[in-house]
Amino acid sequence: MGGWADVMRLGLGAKFTVTVLVILACTMAANTLYFVRASARFHEHQLVERGRALGRLISLISPEAILGFDFLLLNDYTREVSSQPDVVYGVIVSPEGVPISSYVNSNDPVIKKHAKSASSKEVLKLLKTLDGVQELIKLEFPITHNDVVLGRFLVGISNESLQRELRKQVLVQMGVVSAIVLFLSAAIHAVFRFNVLFPIRKLISASREVGRGRYNPVQVKSDDELGVLTRAFNAMAEEVKEEQAKLHRQANFDALTGLPNRMMAFDRINLEIHRARRSEQRFAVLFIDLDNFKTVNDTLGHALGDELLVAIGTRLQGCLRDADTVARLGGDEFLILVPDVVNEVEVEKIAERLLQAVSEARELQGHKVMIQCSIGIALYPDNGDTVESLMSNADNAMYQAKATQEGSAIFFTEEMNTRLRVRMQMEQDLNTAIELGQLALHFQPIVDTAGPRHRGAEALLRWYHPDKGLISPADFIPLAEATGQIVRIGDWVLEQACRCWSAWHHAGLNPGFVAINVSRIQFRKRFSKRLAELMSAYGIPPQALEFEITESVLLDDHHQVAEELNSLRAAGVKLSLDDFGTGYSSLSYLKRFRFDVLKIDRSFVAGLPANPDDVSLVKAILAMASGLDLHVLAEGVETPEQLGFLTAQGCDFAQGYLIAKPMSEDAYRGYLKDRQTKGDAGNLSFIHPVRANTGR
Amino acid sequence: MRTKSTRDHIGRRKNIARLLGLIVATALPPVVQAADKPLVLGVFPRYNATETTTRYTPLSEYLQDRLHRKVVLVTSKDFQSFWRGIEEHHYDIVQYNQYHYIRSAKTYQVIAHNKEFGRNTMAGVLYVRKDSGITSVAQLRGRTVLFGGGEDAMIGYIAPVYMMLQAGLKKDDFVSQFAVTPINSVIGVYRKQADAAGSADNAMGQPVIKNAINTDELTALAVSEQLLQLPWAVKRTMPAKLREAIRSSLVDLENSEAGRNVLKTALLTGIGKADDKDYDAHRKMVRAVMGTF
Repeated sequence: MGGWADVMRLGLGAKFTVTVLVILACTMAANTLYFVRASARFHEHQLVERGRALGRLISLISPEAILGFDFLLLNDYTREVSSQPDVVYGVIVSPEGVPISSYVNSNDPVIKKHAKSASSKEVLKLLKTLDGVQELIKLEFPITHNDVVLGRFLVGISNESLQRELRKQVLVQMGVVSAIVLFLSAAIHAVFRFNVLFPIRKLISASREVGRGRYNPVQVKSDDELGVLTRAFNAMAEEVKEEQAKLHRQANFDALTGLPNRMMAFDRINLEIHRARRSEQRFAVLFIDLDNFKTVNDTLGHALGDELLVAIGTRLQGCLRDADTVARLGGDEFLILVPDVVNEVEVEKIAERLLQAVSEARELQGHKVMIQCSIGIALYPDNGDTVESLMSNADNAMYQAKATQEGSAIFFTEEMNTRLRVRMQMEQDLNTAIELGQLALHFQPIVDTAGPRHRGAEALLRWYHPDKGLISPADFIPLAEATGQIVRIGDWVLEQACRCWSAWHHAGLNPGFVAINVSRIQFRKRFSKRLAELMSAYGIPPQALEFEITESVLLDDHHQVAEELNSLRAAGVKLSLDDFGTGYSSLSYLKRFRFDVLKIDRSFVAGLPANPDDVSLVKAILAMASGLDLHVLAEGVETPEQLGFLTAQGCDFAQGYLIAKPMSEDAYRGYLKDRQTKGDAGNLSFIHPVRANTGR
Repeated sequence: MRTKSTRDHIGRRKNIARLLGLIVATALPPVVQAADKPLVLGVFPRYNATETTTRYTPLSEYLQDRLHRKVVLVTSKDFQSFWRGIEEHHYDIVQYNQYHYIRSAKTYQVIAHNKEFGRNTMAGVLYVRKDSGITSVAQLRGRTVLFGGGEDAMIGYIAPVYMMLQAGLKKDDFVSQFAVTPINSVIGVYRKQADAAGSADNAMGQPVIKNAINTDELTALAVSEQLLQLPWAVKRTMPAKLREAIRSSLVDLENSEAGRNVLKTALLTGIGKADDKDYDAHRKMVRAVMGTF
């Protein structure tokens, strides 16, 4: 196998030459063998014929001597016969087998080899010794006279000299054949090398050049198959060249904007790192993300969104030097590479120019579009010395900018990474919070403002971290929403709320309704279907549930949201619009979607009744709700004055520390029992001044 | 090319010469005429005609020189034709075997004998193989005996048969076969072509035998008395002076270098003087074997 593997590793020329060599050698060897054998047969035949001629002659002339007992004459005959070339012996034997005349050529190699010790006078013994000798041709001729057998003439002819001659001939032939084979092989190899190998090597070299991205056409010198192959190669190389350029464009440039893409941006940053390292210079990486670009896409369509991206790309390029790089990383993310930075101030100015350029209003397809961006900045080598670290840190800074104030630019700081690590740790802990029983539902009662009647409670999620203690929902809910964990947590909250309500109900209590906050993420996961399953499983009537939805939910796909909201309404549950007044407070939502309750944010309640702005705002909300036939719930009611004002203004429900703090499931059960025992009138204790607490 | 007149001129000159020769011949005395008649030397076909001519031409030339008379060597293709020459008295001088002489003794007279291998005489021998189990001549009864030469061979046939007859056998008691020469008969026995060979006592010492067979495997069963070798005879009608001149010429051969060379060419070591009584022993054997003539 090793030998064959070695052959397989040989070059084409060597393989061809070896093949030709083997074929020629086999052919010529077979030819030589055939002719040598034919020659051997011919010469052996001649030898036999010569023996026969001698035998016939002796048979013809011997009777006279035999009849005359002229043994000397017979001896002359046998001597004469045996002196002939290749004749080893000549013996005339009587009919009884007794030798009457014999002559043995004792100098013959056959005799020397096989019958060295045999005496020529002991002819019979000698003949017996020579009986099995291969190189001896033994012939026998009867000697007759008038049909009477007088004896036999035995002649032994050696083909040893013939064999020797043949061996010599074979050697000569092999030498000639070898010379011819070598000459022909060398000649064929030379022709093959010149006509085939050279062009192939040129093609191999050109192929390697193609591999290195250099497309040099190979000169075509012939019209044979190699010429055709060379033309085909040239055509292929040209196609590869074009395809390579196309792939290069696709791989390195953004198809929409024509700007370098993420891959090329990484390459350029990498190159810049090497360059800056050598020249000990600094450079900046600016990570740009358009603020609320999704809204543009959703409201004005993707085509316009794409047009906007192109325009922004062009505008960004216009703000920069030729040496700077603008790349689109994907979506609404851009990256700017600014080499040879002297100081942060220079970068800050560039960032300001970019912010300014992006935020300028532009006319697209008849729409006046305004958008701004957030920029995160990382500097080499201060904020990282690898592509990954610079990109990551710039990205972090960008998120920080977006979180702090949209439309701003922020330099990366190490503290950002610390926050990020905290956030990542929290994300990991949150993954196991449900299984470890660290999450719990608390319930804060909701009552009528007009009469002290219990209406229900809002389910509030609590996370008891074993190391960090109680973690505020304000800290972990956004994280859960960002990571998608909110789906599982929300489902848990929904089931726990259903379970609790069912337990209280079966305990003979009247828990009223349970208001549950629903994240926008949950709406994307067929929330209504899951609710139906749980309501069926726990036997929850629809009026026992109320879902609090923030305006952010309504920002999503209208059709899907509308479908889910309609499904919920069809199921008979109530819907309330949470944190009303803090966000867009678009009245169109109220027109488009049907809600049962508006929930006034605590920030507006806190200033009541002293703050005239809050008073005006709350009055306006109440008036609007009244016009739209919506109930209003005020949260964060902590003082009798607030409650009194709200009651006076027609607010329907109140929730806050004045009525009751959020309490555990067991505490809320006790609360319900207590209220059931004492009746709703007994609940008017909250009209007494209650010292306000911070937090929910 | 010769012209016609030239040929006529030459023809005339030949005719004149013939005429002059005839005149001289008729004018010379009768002795001179007799001296001019060539002597015919006949040699029995022991060898073939060519070899006989080669070996005996120097001897005939030698005699011609010594006798001052032309000597013509005559060869025969076989024994029949040779013997016819004897019977027709064609040869003046003849060299043949002992049996031939005894048969022709009425018309020819022995004057000398050959010396071969340095010996004046030779004996007939019966050879057998040592492993044949034959230890006496009498055991040859019913056996095959290969004789060297034909029935007229003195040493190869007559002497061995004589010994067999002496041993109590008759001619019908054994099978007679004949080899070309006594040497061949010895080889034939060695080659087991016969049970015994009739040959000469000098056969075993000859190189041709030693080269052909292993002589140690043969043994002499019986050896005859020594017999004078091949005779030289002349016509009994030949003048005594000429007969003695021929005898002395032959006997003198071994006394000179030239003569020895002549002898060597004829495969002889010498020629000795012989008389008719020297062949009585032969004659006795011939009579016993061949009967009377």
